[in-house]
Amino acid sequence: MSIRLQVILLVLLIFILIGMVTQIKRKKLDLKYTLSWFALIIALIVLTCFPKLLIVIADFLGITTPINMIFFCGFCFSLIIIYTLTVAISKMSDNIRSLTQKIALLEKGETDHE
Amino acid sequence: MKKLIIIPAYNESECIERTIKDIEKHAQGFDYLIVNDCSTDQTREICEKNGFNLINLPINLGIGGAVQTGYQYAWENGYDVAVQIDGDGQHDASFLQRMSETMGEEGADMLIGSRFIEKEGFQSSFLRRVGIIYFTGLIKLMTGATITDPTSGLRMINRSVIEIFAKDYPKDYPEPESVVAVLRNKKQVKEIPVVMRERQGGSSSIGSIRSIYYMIKVTLAILVESLRRYK
Repeated sequence: MSIRLQVILLVLLIFILIGMVTQIKRKKLDLKYTLSWFALIIALIVLTCFPKLLIVIADFLGITTPINMIFFCGFCFSLIIIYTLTVAISKMSDNIRSLTQKIALLEKGETDHE
Repeated sequence: MKKLIIIPAYNESECIERTIKDIEKHAQGFDYLIVNDCSTDQTREICEKNGFNLINLPINLGIGGAVQTGYQYAWENGYDVAVQIDGDGQHDASFLQRMSETMGEEGADMLIGSRFIEKEGFQSSFLRRVGIIYFTGLIKLMTGATITDPTSGLRMINRSVIEIFAKDYPKDYPEPESVVAVLRNKKQVKEIPVVMRERQGGSSSIGSIRSIYYMIKVTLAILVESLRRYK
């Protein structure tokens, strides 16, 4: 990796990081669900700064081409992010169900009272 | 003793009147509650016009959420017994009196109306029978109890089970899974022979394509339910 590419990548990643933090600041993103995105960006920053690390890890895992390692890591991170979203959706659908039932029961109580 | 009939209704405008008439005629001593699961047809208007006891869900929750709303209503309003009846006229209200008597005599916490004890009336299609036999076997394996009709929607429960269902009830295809939950809570589940009719309108919640999803989902649900710990 050339120094130029390293700098470009680093600047890009820092921009993304700043963008995400501003979104959280504006309450458009919930910090709780962005932790895995933070982990991904920080991992990418570390790898951009120390590209040799990539080769060491790939070697350790028995992956011959470091680029495959990138794909593999990207895939794993995506899965983690999707999984946390599934957890969040399950929780939300449960909450929506309880709310719907509460509203229906409250409304019923009101109409019966009249 | 306060007894409640819960009728989940999703687009049942064709049969809902007949179902209620049947209840008023054959099930004296029972209150009823229609849970309108955000129907898109005239179900709500018909119920309001007739002054039926109705609760309206603002969002469609599916059968599990609708029935659970009924159990929550039963719990909040101090009912001792609750029974679920389908809005499509499959279930005969004249069995309810006998069911509640049997429940008291046998000391059951849950009483299931089974089509397959005396094998009378509408017996369902061959493939569904195979599925039902499979679930009977699976439940026997996981809990040791024999339930001949685990998919029956005609189920009467007492207040201790109302409490369980008001808190926790499966979302879709709830029948076999919730029977296992009740058994795992160390409650007495008994069965009583009933005769069911073929549905008089509307369509089953289980279509032909969905039956594979149904089998897999319910199997997994029963297995997971068996892993849960109860005090």
